[in-house]
Amino acid sequence: MTRYVLRRLVLAIPTLFGIVVIVFVLVHLAPGSPVSGGGEALRRPTGRAAEELRRLYGLDRPIPERFGAWVSRAVRFDLGESFVDRRPVGERIREALPHTLLLNGVALILALVIAVPLGVVAGGHPEGALDRVSGVALFALYSTPTFWMALLLQSLFSVQLGWLPLYGVASDPAPSGLAGLVDRLAHVALPATCLAYGTLAFVARLVRSGIAETREADYVLAARARGASRRRALWTHAFPNAILPLLTLFGLLLPALLSGSVIVERIFAWPGLGRLFFDSILARDYPVILGLSLLSAVATLGATLVSDIASAAADPRVRDGTAT
Amino acid sequence: MSERPVSPTPVSATPEKRRRRILGRLPASGRAALAVVLLLWIVAACSPLLAERAGTIRLRERLAPPSAAHLFGTDDLGRDLFARVVCATPISLAIGLVAAAVALGVGFAVGATAGWFGGAVDLALSRLIEVVLCFPVLFLLLALAAFLPSSPLTLILAIGLTAWPGDARYARAEVMKIKDLDYARAARAAGASTPRILARHLLPNALPPLIVSAAFGIGWAILAEAALSFLGVGLPAPAISWGGILSVAPAYIDEAWWIALFPGLALFLTVSAYNLLAEGLRTATTEKGPV
Repeated sequence: MTRYVLRRLVLAIPTLFGIVVIVFVLVHLAPGSPVSGGGEALRRPTGRAAEELRRLYGLDRPIPERFGAWVSRAVRFDLGESFVDRRPVGERIREALPHTLLLNGVALILALVIAVPLGVVAGGHPEGALDRVSGVALFALYSTPTFWMALLLQSLFSVQLGWLPLYGVASDPAPSGLAGLVDRLAHVALPATCLAYGTLAFVARLVRSGIAETREADYVLAARARGASRRRALWTHAFPNAILPLLTLFGLLLPALLSGSVIVERIFAWPGLGRLFFDSILARDYPVILGLSLLSAVATLGATLVSDIASAAADPRVRDGTAT
Repeated sequence: MSERPVSPTPVSATPEKRRRRILGRLPASGRAALAVVLLLWIVAACSPLLAERAGTIRLRERLAPPSAAHLFGTDDLGRDLFARVVCATPISLAIGLVAAAVALGVGFAVGATAGWFGGAVDLALSRLIEVVLCFPVLFLLLALAAFLPSSPLTLILAIGLTAWPGDARYARAEVMKIKDLDYARAARAAGASTPRILARHLLPNALPPLIVSAAFGIGWAILAEAALSFLGVGLPAPAISWGGILSVAPAYIDEAWWIALFPGLALFLTVSAYNLLAEGLRTATTEKGPV
């Protein structure tokens, strides 16, 4: 186990280095940098912004030196100042983070609470009625663009039925007490649904195929032979073994949710990280773009490490490298 | 290296025969999806017939609901939405196809190299795959699409360069599986060069799972292009794309639902067809049928 953890940690170092390199390359694709070249004259930052860009990234210095400076600042989490409002990038990210955490948290819970039982029950009876119906539904969800789903839900629940607010985090002025909570929930319902259904389809399909595979394993049949009920055999014997190999994939849900946040937060005017990233792209606010890219990639790396180690702790097949 | 079971299938079938067999084994849903895909390409080929109608601005008819004259209604400038949805077909299909091909090319090159050489090369390339997977795809896509001059080539490269890790993983696993089979060993023993073995022996045999991966890739690439156009960093007007038409929908969400509905429906139909085809191809290539 210790060996496995050590190996994973050591392997994470070059990955971290690669992340820093990719963000560094993005800097140099940015207009105004030496690499991006001419053409897009209108997009090039001029005057103060250009000066700032050169100062921040040392564009007048040779590339190795530039890279060294960028790495040393990134390591200290010194992400620079936003071009837009001159505030530190870290501060802007901290402001947006709670909104994204709330939205993604609700979405993730919503997705897992539906996906896992659905996957287990559907996988328990492959080709059964529920499996067929949910298979088609999940497949359709899988192919539905997030922004289209968002528009349809807005059109139905906000415009036609008038049940839920069109966008925003809360009403203005926000009601207090219980009414305030209901107000927040009403606001989070549609964006969280839009963010959740992709993850839901992904997880439910994985759980379903995992269960469909393990339900005929010897230990499940043995449990049935000992007189365990169908449900018990499925949930206490098949389920843990089916879900364990999937644990390692959970780290990768983070970047998927953040990608979804860009679209969902834009449509629902949700002031989170996805919105901040998109606004920064439009404003060519390079320090914010790079800071967010770096942080989200590092967070994903961290989440992947944690889920890998967790699944190794729980599943000897993973530690020994015998799992598929 | 441990001995692996030798599968008889790859050696006996010529690519020609195998292709026919895959199509023959395609389940009904997969055949229907293939028909829809072909139909969409035919629509795309015929779409220039509606180009004039799609571009004609009639401000007096702006935001008209669906009717006999305007099957899907009209947009904010009074342009016929049906004509615009039809005329957006070629861009979505072509960008999806080419971007998925780029992703497959990069993915196969990286994955096959990693799988073939193993050891340090594999370790390094696997880290590269991991690095790309760490970034939220849309962050990379938006940065690339927004920073590079906007053109079809930029879109294709941006989508292709962010979508390849999945293909690379498939290619790596497949090559690792195949490289110790008899025919690969025989080619090596006969003195064939590495690039030749990879191109002539491994590529054709690793192809079935890669085709499946590529078909899913096309659906994904079409969605990516639509998302970028929806966010306003896709192809600039007058190019028409489904995502681009949808980008004006939020502004008219309370008066013109048809602007949101129809282009999205076209997008959904296209992506479903490709995904369903991919699913069918997976069944056709993995199920053990008569050889």
